[in-house]
This record gives sequence, structure tokens and C-alpha cells, in this order.
Amino acid sequence: MIKIKNLTATVNDGQQTILNGLSLEVPAGEVHAIMGPNGAGKSTLSYVLTGKDGYDVTDGSVDYLGQDLLAMEPEERASAGLFLSFQYPLEIPGVPTMHFLRTALNAQRKSRGEDIMAAPEFLKKARAIAADLKIKPDMLKRPLNVGFSGGEKKRMEIFQMMMLEPKFIIMDETDSGLDVDALRIVADGVNALRAPDRGMLIITHYQRLLDYIVPDRVHVLSDGKIVASGDADFAKLLEKEGYDKYAA
Amino acid sequence: MTNMPHNALIEQLPHRRMEAWKWTDVRGAAVSEPQGLSAACNPTIAAPSGIDISTEGVAPSESVMGKLAVTFAHNATVITVPAGFKSDAPVLLSDMKSGHARLIFKIGKGAEISVTETHESGAASFVNIDMRFDLAQGAKLSRTIFHNDCADMTRISTAQINAWADAEITQHTLSFGGGLTRFETRIASLGENLKAEIHGAYLLNDKRHCDMTSYIDLGAQSAHIRQSVKGVVAGKARGVFQGKFHVRSPAQFTDAEMRHDAMMLSDTCQIRAKPELEIYADDVACAHGNTVGALDESALFYMRQRGIPLRQARALLTEAFVAEAFDGMADNSDFMSRITDWLEQNS
Ligand SMILES: Nc1ncnc2c1ncn2[C@@H]1O[C@H](COP(=O)(O)OP(=O)(O)O)[C@@H](O)[C@H]1O
Ligand SMILES: [Mg+2]
Repeated sequence: MIKIKNLTATVNDGQQTILNGLSLEVPAGEVHAIMGPNGAGKSTLSYVLTGKDGYDVTDGSVDYLGQDLLAMEPEERASAGLFLSFQYPLEIPGVPTMHFLRTALNAQRKSRGEDIMAAPEFLKKARAIAADLKIKPDMLKRPLNVGFSGGEKKRMEIFQMMMLEPKFIIMDETDSGLDVDALRIVADGVNALRAPDRGMLIITHYQRLLDYIVPDRVHVLSDGKIVASGDADFAKLLEKEGYDKYAA
Repeated sequence: MTNMPHNALIEQLPHRRMEAWKWTDVRGAAVSEPQGLSAACNPTIAAPSGIDISTEGVAPSESVMGKLAVTFAHNATVITVPAGFKSDAPVLLSDMKSGHARLIFKIGKGAEISVTETHESGAASFVNIDMRFDLAQGAKLSRTIFHNDCADMTRISTAQINAWADAEITQHTLSFGGGLTRFETRIASLGENLKAEIHGAYLLNDKRHCDMTSYIDLGAQSAHIRQSVKGVVAGKARGVFQGKFHVRSPAQFTDAEMRHDAMMLSDTCQIRAKPELEIYADDVACAHGNTVGALDESALFYMRQRGIPLRQARALLTEAFVAEAFDGMADNSDFMSRITDWLEQNS
């Protein structure tokens, strides 16, 4: 579904290389986890894949469902089904959560040539998903993420994800800031989205989340590339042994 | 009409070497003798029944532009709102397209009146509207001002609002600017407990210019003032905000806040801001704030990641920023739809 080949990205006019020949393939229907020490380049990978400004891709390619992902604008990537649950979700002052999300959903639908979703259908869907995620209805009226706690912001990311029904999901440290109850709720939401035509990349620092969302593959990212891979049990080993032996 | 030699007339116009006009050079804009510079303007006034409209030779205001208005408009149109008057219908003021006009509102004790002003011209001209509002005790005035001129228009609109005890003033101004335009609001509290909400926004493109100047002169105690002005400036446009709270020694227990927040949408636009406090009373709470910034790039990326195209993301963030100025309006739907339209064209 997504094929990353030798991806190399720099910042500061090439003075600093953050992704250093990273290769990774996630087939449709699979969930892959990326683990690694702080500063390894995990968030940078999520930003380069979603098209954030400020990174120069100096080498490599990303094929997403047969398209050259790196040639697309961020909103085109989103409309093609790419979704990032941000490590640090942004606050959008003055824009109520529901208005924001309906704008996003209908912009995506429009760009795919689909009909827009009418307000009643949208509201019904939003209420049902909010209830599943234990999000209070009044939170959806507030400006998106403004004044929300870290955990509330993370839950709001999952809410958006379930509303938008993306095809390929990247979750960047979604577990940080969540207590065990919230973690279970979020994991239930994510597991409900597992499907044969959907892929996921779960970036995490701790093995904890992977008890709830069991991955097909686990990779170690260190110094800007994938240095080791294994199955779900590999995550437990990593947690016990640490990343030291993978450090450059 | 007075036959004044062109040069002598130009000499009388305020210019950039005057502190209060340093960013709005009326003389500079008038050298080519625009239409209307030495003519009268007769605005259309529609008022609910019970309001009297007459023409009187009242004394001119002290300001430069006020004196000039007398020279060309002679008499003032006096709109008298009787004591205790109440109506759901506003006084509508329009057709201020060229020339000088003098308007005086006398608002009686406890009367409540809304005034909706449309300052709009599609053809280049010079307009000078000199207004005065006298609010008797407990009178309530709500002004809604819409401004949209063509890019070579010169417009100066000045309102002096004199408020006796317990008066309330609400003012919302939306300006899309013009060639060289200024909306000046001057409030004087002559009795205690003045309540004033003075809010506005300017959205400017091309080479448009709008100046929002205010001078709030507090001479009596327990005034409560809230002022916020939002600016959005694109292209080579220029936004000017000058705000002053003058708190005289009898004006104890004044509670006054002034904010000006502006957003620059291009590298070539300009914002000039001068918020000022001059305070002679010791038991007061006064604050002012002024920020100039650009749209948050990280927020824009976040919105795009959700599928919102860049232009639409910009418009949405800017609209939310401007909307705060009109939160307190009884009905802001007209202003908001005009803002949405403008942002669709200019984001
Ligand atoms: N825009 C940037 N400018 C400079 N350095 C950056 C930038 N983005 C990331 N880095 C650096 O790149 C490294 C990897 O960062 P990041 O991808 O956030 O790591 P991780 O998410 O794995 O903790 C860090 O050393 C970080 O400081
Ligand atoms: Mg990170």
C-alpha cells in the first residue's frame, strides 16, 4: 500500500540529515509499529509523508497506492486517504470542532468527486462516534483543541480519524498523555478500523499500546533509518533490552 | 458653495506633519482636487416615526475637518430622538458618496436608538462626514458602520459622541477601506457610569488604506469601556489604528480595555498602530494591547493534513480571528457573510 524507498530528508539547507535512507513497506490490511529512541526521526518521517514544509527530500521515493506521494500537496494526500494523528495536535482558535471537521470531510469528498455529506447525517455520525470515544458533546462545540488537555487532544485526533475514515493511518505517539482507560477506548476505536484495504503505521515509544493494538510487524528506527524488524513479540524484547544496541 | 481658491483649500487639509494625521495624509491625497472637495453632501436619512429631522445653523465642531464641513455644508441636519424613545427600526444613513455633510443626533433621556451607516462609493470622490451625537442621561446609542469604497476614494468620517450620566454606546464598524479613508470616533463622558463597547475590523487589499482612530475622554467616574479592533491587511494595503484613553482626575473607578490585533497576509502590506493611555486618576483599571502577526503555519499545515485546501484554511483561520470583533452584535450575519466573501477573494 505504501512503499518507502531509501528516503532521505534534510533540514537547514542540507546541513542536518534526519532521515537517512529509510526503507519500509506496509501492505494493505497490515498494522506496522515503529519504535525507537527520542530524536530518531519518527515524527520527521510522519511529517515528510504528510508533506509538511521545512524538510528537503534529497533522495528516495514514496509510492502510495501507485501514486508518487511526495509530488502531492498535503491536502491532496489527505484526500487520497492519508491521515496523521499528530504527536502534538494544534489548536485552531475560533473554529468550532464540528465546523472544522465538516469542512475537512466535505473538502476531501469534493476533491474525490463525491457528494458532500449533509449536516443531519454528519451530526448523527459524529454523535455516535463521540459516544464510543466518551467525548462529551459540548467539547465538539468548542474551538478545536483550544484549552483541551493532552489526553483530550489525543482522543480528538482519534475522533477525527474515525469521522474521516482514512485509508492509511499514521499515529505518532498517540498513547502518550492517555491513562489506561483512555488507552483502551482509543485502541478499540483503532481496532474497529482495521480492514483488508487499510494500512496503519503506529509510532510509539512504549510497548504498552501494542498490547491493545497488536501489530503485524515491528520496526526499530534509529538515526534516520530502519535498523531492525520483527513480529509483535519483538516489541516486548525491545522494551526489555532498550535501543542501545541499535544506536549508531 | 464657497469659492475658495484651490490652493487655500488644500492648505486647510490635515497633513502628515500633524501628529494625529501622520499616517493619513489628507492633503497629499487631495492635490489633484478630487470631486466633492468643495461641495455639500446630502445623505439619505430614513428614520422610524417619532424622530424629527430638521436643518439648523449650529456651531461647528472644533476639528479641522469639522470646520471644513461648515464651509461647504453650511447648516447641520439635526436628528432629534425624543426622551424615552424606543424602536426596533434603526435610523438608516446612506448616500454619502461625495462632498461635506454635518449631522447631529440629539438623543433624549432614556431613549434607545440604533443608527446604521453605509459609507460606500464606487466612484472616486472626496467625502467628509462630520457627526455629533449628544446622549442625554441614560440614553443608549448603537451604531453599526459599514464601509466599502473604491480604491481611489478619499473619505473622512468623524463622530463626536458626548455622553451624560448612565449613557450606553455600542459601536461596530466593518471597513473594507478605500483610497485614503479614516473613521474617527471621539467619546467624551460628561457624567458617570458610561458604558461603551467600541469594536471594529478592517480588511484591506490592493493599495487600500483605512485608519481607525479613537479618542475616549473620560471626565466622570465609573466608566466601563471595552474596545477591540481587528485588522487584516493584504497586497500593498495599509491599516492604521490610533486609540487613546484619556482618563481625567475625576474619572475614578474607570475600567477600560483597548485591543488592536492585526494580521498581515502579504510581505508588502503595512500596519501602523499607536495605542495610548493617559491617566490622571489613581483608582482605575486600564489596559491596552497591540499585536501584529501572520497566520500560524503549523495550524495551516494541520488543517491541510485534514484535507482543507490552503486557501480555504487561510480563510477559515482569518475569519475566526476577525469574528471576535462582532461576537457581541445582536445580529452579525450581514457582516460575517461580507467577511466570508472578502476572504474567499483575498485568501
Ligand atoms: N525542523 C527541524 N529543524 C532542525 N532539526 C530538526 C527539525 N525537525 C526535527 N529535527 C531534529 O531531528 C531529530 C529527529 O526529530 P524527530 O523526528 O522529532 O524525532 P522523534 O520523533 O523520533 O523523537 C531531532 O534531533 C530533532 O531535533
Ligand atoms: Mg516524535
